[in-house]
Amino acid sequence: MKQLKRLKNMLLGEEKQKETDEQVQQSESEIETKSKETVTPKSEIENRETDPKQEQNESKEAEQGLEPASPKLIKEEPKEAEEKVLKVPKKVEEKPKTTRSDSMTLLEGRDAETITRAEIDVNFKQAVIDAGAETLSLCFQCGTCTGACPSGRRTPYRVRTVIRRALMGFKDDLISDDSLWMCSTCYECQERCPRGIKIVDIVKIARNYAAQAGYMAKAHKMTGSYVIKTGHGVPINDATKALRKRVGLNELPPTTHEFPEALEEVRTILKATKFDNLIGYNWETGELE
Amino acid sequence: MAFAYFLGCIMNNRYPGIEKATRIMMENLDIELKDMEGASCCPAPGVFGSFDLTTWAAVAARNITIAEDMGADVMTECNGCFGTLFETNHLLREDEEQKEKINKILAEAGREFKGEVNVRHFAEILYNDVGIAKLSEKVTNPLNLNVAVHYGCHFLKPSAEINIDNALKPTILDELVEATGAKSIPYKDKLMCCGAGGGLRSRDLDVTLDYTKEKLDNMTDAGVDAIVNVCPFCHLQFDVGQTEVNKKYGTNFGIPVFHLAQLYGLSMGLKPEDLTVDAHQVCVDSALEKCSLEDIENLDKITGGE
Repeated sequence: MKQLKRLKNMLLGEEKQKETDEQVQQSESEIETKSKETVTPKSEIENRETDPKQEQNESKEAEQGLEPASPKLIKEEPKEAEEKVLKVPKKVEEKPKTTRSDSMTLLEGRDAETITRAEIDVNFKQAVIDAGAETLSLCFQCGTCTGACPSGRRTPYRVRTVIRRALMGFKDDLISDDSLWMCSTCYECQERCPRGIKIVDIVKIARNYAAQAGYMAKAHKMTGSYVIKTGHGVPINDATKALRKRVGLNELPPTTHEFPEALEEVRTILKATKFDNLIGYNWETGELE
Repeated sequence: MAFAYFLGCIMNNRYPGIEKATRIMMENLDIELKDMEGASCCPAPGVFGSFDLTTWAAVAARNITIAEDMGADVMTECNGCFGTLFETNHLLREDEEQKEKINKILAEAGREFKGEVNVRHFAEILYNDVGIAKLSEKVTNPLNLNVAVHYGCHFLKPSAEINIDNALKPTILDELVEATGAKSIPYKDKLMCCGAGGGLRSRDLDVTLDYTKEKLDNMTDAGVDAIVNVCPFCHLQFDVGQTEVNKKYGTNFGIPVFHLAQLYGLSMGLKPEDLTVDAHQVCVDSALEKCSLEDIENLDKITGGE
């Protein structure tokens, strides 16, 4: 995937090359001198981020009466500073394209894709194991899971990388990945895993972490809210009530729909596990926040 | 023989004909179904399992305690409910620590999980407890249908825990379907998922429909008259989802969909309208005609799908 991404970047870079030729000539010298500065772009950004604060402080001082004559100008200054800050990372990204012709293109963008220690959560693997996936560490990355996956045939979801990222501690990368939710939990991977790894459990544990971090689809939260409201993820509707009556069943099934005290039990459990907080359910309005 | 009858959501709240067919059929087979009063959603494995496994297991365990109070094994005819209840039952029986943790939560609602009952799937009960021979005897209207059997995912898998049949080469449903006189037709990637599970249907319908279309293409190539499933969510996906596939891809699929309980209802002479098959989104008349069943004119469409 990364290689594909690089190739794509290259191709796009070539297409844009002609358009930006003029700009390049103008800015090449600038970039060359800047490249030394951007060796550690993060620190530079951090430095720059402090600028607006300083300027804000200055503007506060100004508001306090040092320069009362031009408050408008003073207020605009921090905005300009912020814009500068936003532009900085863009320039850093553009750099490889513009210097492309002079260097080994396959190495372009490598810095951005290099994994650093900072991205690793050293406790994540053990946390996943403790949550019930003792088999996680047995994975030897054979890829049988991905080969068996019906989702992987049509989406960017790759089961093998889910396991790998859990093993390596790439927590943020894993839980922020939308494709984690493309698994239909069909167990085809798990049935074929030569190491007997409980893959679907690992997917669900990873999703639990994603949910805790706020990565939840509205539609899923709605299903959760229906259970809080009625005890059912798919509550009854008028059409089905009519159908039930027609075939001689009670309009309401003998579930939480018929027994309000049973619904209170379910609600007590959902409060005890803080599921209501997790999905942001407002008990007063009955809506999601 | 008696079971605690777990309804769930989609069957009783969308396709009540499946419930009706099951109640009549079980009476016919001298199996008592006791209502699990106050049971809730299993809860839905896709959303609850994905959001918070503790909540998932706690709500599931509460449902199981209702059956424990009744002193009967749980029977469900939804793969999703089966997966949730079976797995929770299995987990809490095996793992004392988990059991304690969940029981602490249940105590707030005045309940305790003891691990005294089993969780059973309707199809597995028919196969193992009733048996093909007895079922065949009850068939009064042998069905002249070529059927695409859809197993779904959480009926047999994870097979290491569930252990009902070989998950990669099962025969249990094919045998059950053929006991009605229908013929189970092999088709490509028969064991593939319908696409609805794991929260995928509500999260990304396009991906789900892509699964479903592949299944429908393969079933069509095999020349089937109907789809038979053992899960109301797969049922909904093939019924409602089929119309969504047609809309999205401009296709013209029209394969009637039956839950196994409805298929048995037809073979035991129940009226189609008692099975609420007339309320399906995909018209079932072609299949009923092939079975030479009457009353087709009397059926009128009532919206029933999600």
